[in-house]
Amino acid sequence: MAVTDQLIFLAGALLTLSILATVPADRSGVPVLVVFLGLGMLAGALPMDGVQLPNLGTAHLLGTTALAVILFDGGLHTPRSSFRTGFGPGLMLATVGVVVTTAVAAGLLHAWLGLSWPEAALLAAMVSSTDAAAVFYLLRARGIELHPRVRNSLEIESGINDPLAVFLTLAVIEWMTRDGGAGSGALLWMFVLQLGAGVGVGFAGGYLLTLAINRCPLSTNLYPLQALAGGLVVYGAASLLGGSGFLAAYLAGLVVGNRARIARRAIQRFHDGVAWLCQIGLFILLGFLVVPGELLPIAGSALIVAFILIFIARPVATAVSLLPFGFSWRPMLFMSWVGLRGGVPVVLSLYPLMAGVDFARDAFNIIFFVVLVSLTLQGWTVSRVARWLGLLLPREHPDTSRIDLERPRDHELVVCELPHGSPATRGSMGDLEPPEGVRLVAMVRDDDLRTPAPELLVHADDTLYFVVPTHNTTLQERFDHWLDAIGTAHPVQEQAYFGEFALDAAAPMADFASVYLTGVPSDVESGESVAMYLQRKLRHRASEGDQLRLQGVVLVVREMDGGQITTAGVRLPRDTS
Amino acid sequence: MNIANLLAPERIRAGAEATSKKRTLELLSELLTGDAGDPETRNVLESLISRERLGATGLGRGVALPHARVATVTEPTAALVRLNEAVDFDAIDKQRVDLLLALLVPEDSTDEHLRLLRSLAEMFRDTDFCEQLRGNQTAEAMYQQIIDWQEQHGAA
Repeated sequence: MAVTDQLIFLAGALLTLSILATVPADRSGVPVLVVFLGLGMLAGALPMDGVQLPNLGTAHLLGTTALAVILFDGGLHTPRSSFRTGFGPGLMLATVGVVVTTAVAAGLLHAWLGLSWPEAALLAAMVSSTDAAAVFYLLRARGIELHPRVRNSLEIESGINDPLAVFLTLAVIEWMTRDGGAGSGALLWMFVLQLGAGVGVGFAGGYLLTLAINRCPLSTNLYPLQALAGGLVVYGAASLLGGSGFLAAYLAGLVVGNRARIARRAIQRFHDGVAWLCQIGLFILLGFLVVPGELLPIAGSALIVAFILIFIARPVATAVSLLPFGFSWRPMLFMSWVGLRGGVPVVLSLYPLMAGVDFARDAFNIIFFVVLVSLTLQGWTVSRVARWLGLLLPREHPDTSRIDLERPRDHELVVCELPHGSPATRGSMGDLEPPEGVRLVAMVRDDDLRTPAPELLVHADDTLYFVVPTHNTTLQERFDHWLDAIGTAHPVQEQAYFGEFALDAAAPMADFASVYLTGVPSDVESGESVAMYLQRKLRHRASEGDQLRLQGVVLVVREMDGGQITTAGVRLPRDTS
Repeated sequence: MNIANLLAPERIRAGAEATSKKRTLELLSELLTGDAGDPETRNVLESLISRERLGATGLGRGVALPHARVATVTEPTAALVRLNEAVDFDAIDKQRVDLLLALLVPEDSTDEHLRLLRSLAEMFRDTDFCEQLRGNQTAEAMYQQIIDWQEQHGAA
């Protein structure tokens, strides 16, 4: 009994401390995941009668569950439109990238640290995938608007790269233990199954779950729980069939997040909370598992592993994977820097421990150390590096909350508070002009509910209430966009990023050339618009912030609408004389 | 290229009246050619208007920088207007515009006029500078202020 009480007290206290720690962590920029890890380590060092460290089996169970839920949540929050620009690069990074990372890291570990091939391969495989929890958390931090194509690619990568890392790790363990000697045929079958069952169960489960949500008249509070339960069923079913549960959970989340017509926002909000709980739990648990005294002896080799991973293997893997996509060096460098390692490698490093591989304890400690270094070094610098590389769009999302409406069907209420300096505050309610189909229904000023009459002037801190249809994804995207435009109030940064002037992208390229270029470029087709030309010359699906240099002038994609470029910026050459 | 050389007090209007974007551009064209009756004024106005069709040249925060290439101009030339009453200019930030500098460059000019345009945009990005410019009562004072700004920020 006493043990139960102690455990409940300890769990509650750690959770409370972790949640409170997010406040100073956010302010100082210390990656909050590192703080959780540290709290776990501290708690693990506390002397407590009768409370035992969680055994490996329990740790594996809890860690895996947490990862599954985090991936499911990641999928829930990924709009389908992300795949338009991010799928190709994300898929390449998640496949070719993982293999190249493993190969390069294994080779260097063997050469530089004198590890045997199996040991080097084991370490390399375990750190080969990026961490969804860390990536989602860092790239979606408030107030950051990363170049959309880069963000989508990185998020999709982290959502789908775990199966390959799991497979590689299991394959190496198989190789090291050689019980019964699984042949290469068996390994290949295992890989096909991981992928096939992962994708199959993920999509099928996602659609079934969506169907259940849309059709079953449940009490409102039960929809989110049903989604969570469904996510766990999908993970479990995929894994039982030999597939990748992580992949399945991510894909199921993706389907539900995009297709559920009832309680979608409630489901997302609920899972935000649950995903936080899982992240805190996961990282505290991982901190708990490590014995700080064991870290010191391996610190030297672990630093070398981290160095190899961060500065050689990941950059090489990024360069190779992204070769076909025409990225310039800046996004490439950034994507290589955001190779964050987090919970996945540590959970993976439990596998060899459980399999009783000789090298396992050292491997676990090294991996833990590498994760600590990666989270601290890269996590701490992500937004600064993005800014330095010019990949942060000068935009701010206004604070919004979204509430599902039952009547009218397929609509939601979006509540948005206008920030200071918002361009909207210079006009009246009638000038707001949200996209066709969206209705501004009410406005709150100084705690008074008012009717948004067209002639009423807009003030900062006004809270606006919109009713938005949810069945039309293009309209939703357009509305989000419109909200961003309202939230942006930084003309100076905008000018530096998008250029001095904004052009209607439908204008003919020839007219643009007549003002800014010496002669129409020879590769402009007759009658071609700025949008068409940009799209053709970028050689990939355009994304806001993409740039094209033409003689001295840079054309920047400034606004898009449903995959089409609508506004382009003109950035003029700097006077160097 | 010196910004002050582009301008002259006689091509500056402190406190002009204009009721629309078109009327403002007309005023700038007249200043640029020096004579409303000059047939060239029409040509300049059309060039400026056709540039605006690509997208408004408002820089935001009440400032606009209309510009065009014109065959009959031999040297880059500018005109500056401060309106008493701001006009709707379709600027990207939806703010009405009351400070306008129009720049004409020769048809065959290359990179140079783009750098010039950029320097001008940078000058107008300085909010204190714009506020002072709005406070000036005469064309001479506005002209002097631009010269001062250039001296402070190095010849552009």
